[in-house]
Amino acid sequence: MADPILQQSGIFTPAVIDDIQTKAASGLYQIRGYGTLRQRRWATFDDLTFLPCSLTRIPLEGYREKCTTAVTLGTRYAKRPIQLDVPIMITGMSWGALSLNAKVALARGARAAGSSNTTGDGGMLMAERENSRTLIYEVLPSRYGINIHHMLMADGIELTIGQGAKPGTGGLLLGSKVSEVIARQRDLPAGVDQRSPARHPDFLGPDDMIVKVEELREATNGEVPIFVKMGASRVYDDVKLAAKAGADVIVVDGMEGGTGASPAILQEHTGIPTLAAVCEARAALEDMALYGEVQLVIAGGIRDGVDAAKAIALGADACYIGTAALIALNCNRPLHVEDYAKIGAAPYACHHCHTGLCPVGVTTQDPELMRRLPIDEAAERVSNLLHAMTLEIQMLARACGKSDVRRLEPEDMAALTTEASAICGIPLAGTRKVYGH
Amino acid sequence: MAEITPLATVECGQRPIREINQEIKALIAAGRTGIELAGPGARHNLGVGIVQLARIHIRGSAGYYCAGLIDGPEFEVDGSAGWGLAESMMSGKVVVHGNAGNGAAAAIRGGTVVIHGDAAARLGVSMKGGLVLVGGDCGYMAAFMGQKGTLIVCGNTGEAFADSMYETTCFVGGKVGDLGTDAVIEPLSEEDIAMLDSTLATHFSAGERARKPAPRAFQKIVAGRKLWNFDKRNWQWWREAL
Ligand SMILES: Cc1cc2nc3c(=O)[nH]c(=O)nc-3n(C[C@H](O)[C@H](O)[C@H](O)COP(=O)(O)O)c2cc1C
Ligand code: SF4
Repeated sequence: MADPILQQSGIFTPAVIDDIQTKAASGLYQIRGYGTLRQRRWATFDDLTFLPCSLTRIPLEGYREKCTTAVTLGTRYAKRPIQLDVPIMITGMSWGALSLNAKVALARGARAAGSSNTTGDGGMLMAERENSRTLIYEVLPSRYGINIHHMLMADGIELTIGQGAKPGTGGLLLGSKVSEVIARQRDLPAGVDQRSPARHPDFLGPDDMIVKVEELREATNGEVPIFVKMGASRVYDDVKLAAKAGADVIVVDGMEGGTGASPAILQEHTGIPTLAAVCEARAALEDMALYGEVQLVIAGGIRDGVDAAKAIALGADACYIGTAALIALNCNRPLHVEDYAKIGAAPYACHHCHTGLCPVGVTTQDPELMRRLPIDEAAERVSNLLHAMTLEIQMLARACGKSDVRRLEPEDMAALTTEASAICGIPLAGTRKVYGH
Repeated sequence: MAEITPLATVECGQRPIREINQEIKALIAAGRTGIELAGPGARHNLGVGIVQLARIHIRGSAGYYCAGLIDGPEFEVDGSAGWGLAESMMSGKVVVHGNAGNGAAAAIRGGTVVIHGDAAARLGVSMKGGLVLVGGDCGYMAAFMGQKGTLIVCGNTGEAFADSMYETTCFVGGKVGDLGTDAVIEPLSEEDIAMLDSTLATHFSAGERARKPAPRAFQKIVAGRKLWNFDKRNWQWWREAL
């Protein structure tokens, strides 16, 4: 007799059963790294396609005609705006979540590609400063490792209000990652499950933030741009408030944004997607007549030059990458497969950064595991990725007849779904209609 | 302490804050390390980010973030100070003769903050070192998530005092409004009493000190360490804390 077809519930899926049973054992919600694992789709950059030149537009000749990729951030107030050769930057990821080798490799890779990198929760690592060309210093609610001297060495200051993976909440670094060294850097007892606050200790609302932004600018003598980073929530209003507070650059991190360790439900069920976030952010700046004057950096699930080009076409000046850069470092690569199994993961299905036992040495404080990530090779992979992504963006820009990638615009794209059409205000392919407008 | 040079006066008036701060920094760079700020008018961001030894006397009240992000200098404020006094200070000393607004001494990593009057809410939040001494009362959530350092309140505290702390040690001379999650009272040791005695003697005049509780009358509050590592048996606390 043929095997019966075993039917699984569409509600109580294996993942749901596992979640319930894990919580029943632990008494705690699930915590993990990586970002949302949802398979169900919402409108993403994949719902847009570029409309290259044919007869209505003339393309640029790939090998001869220039297509500029340089970006300047902080033109609003800073005496020393940030100049990048490429529009992709390495986002803030803490030393603590990341190993020292990973931090240094990201810095060197970004430097080689003419890009920037950002510190993270836990402060600046000297090796990171020494290996960076452009280093942005994050000021987070926890203020771990806050150090005015480090701020004065930075090329930009990023005041972080929230992150896309967990907007509106604080941070968490499980005890296994709070090594002696990390504990010292953060002024904590070693081995604690480190919780960090959701609110900044010295301001609450947007009006106080105006003074806070001024403080950061005063502390750094008006030299460097002040970024304000937020998780994508009520983006339209939040971007307006950040711009009003005097931000030079606004970073919006969509719900696809990665994390070192956060409650899983926040990654899955809070915030709005990156595609929607960039559209709201642009609209907010346009409505304040600040579009172009305040630069916009978009983060959250940016995988390649295509995503970045679409974000730029929708209004971003540059994109931050986190997870993609970690993948360049070897995250989820099928090496040391037995060690993935030990933490209950497998290559291509690992989101176990919170364990501190990263099989490829990226998100760990264990010296043995960290040795699996030789800095020079890893740095080269990071710079290669940044170059390759930039070439992808240039290719699309040239095909659309643009001599500067930042001239990409919504008009260069068509929507493939009615949702994307409604969100982006772009006509649905095959129609001349913008849905919902 | 910095060598005392003839006092330089910076007139605040209606000048932009950048100009005021740049003048202070230029004076210090030129070796004029004794400075008074005249007519501060409770301006925000006075004296932010100074990383040299200097003595700065503010002849009136200061607004938000006075002496924020400093490393080394000594500040004296004749009046009161707004939110975020001395926030993230690494070393130095900040003395306020009046009251201080929310988040005074937030996230300090070292140095000393003395507030002779009262402190509002969230005093010493996330402090990572240093000494905070308040002559009067403090508002709610003082020492929240305190990591290291010592916080002394001679008067009464507001609600949720010393909530979710790591290793900050708190002393309260008056009434504790209500203890925060995982805050516990511990008996004073002889060393604590000696420390309180010398700290009060160092920072208060004899007359002021006579109006404060005796060192032995203070209560000591530290973390119960139940929130340091998750334990499902304590889920009631974690419900409050996470
Ligand atoms: C391992 C890891 C650690 C992170 N640490 C921080 C941090 O310390 N501060 C912060 O603002 N964001 C942090 N983030 C979030 C990133 O800055 C960024 O917003 C996010 O990763 C962007 O999404 P992507 O990973 O999909 O590119 C971290 C992300 C990861 C993956
Ligand atoms: S391979 Fe390492 S960095 Fe990647 S998800 Fe797993 S633990 Fe995290």
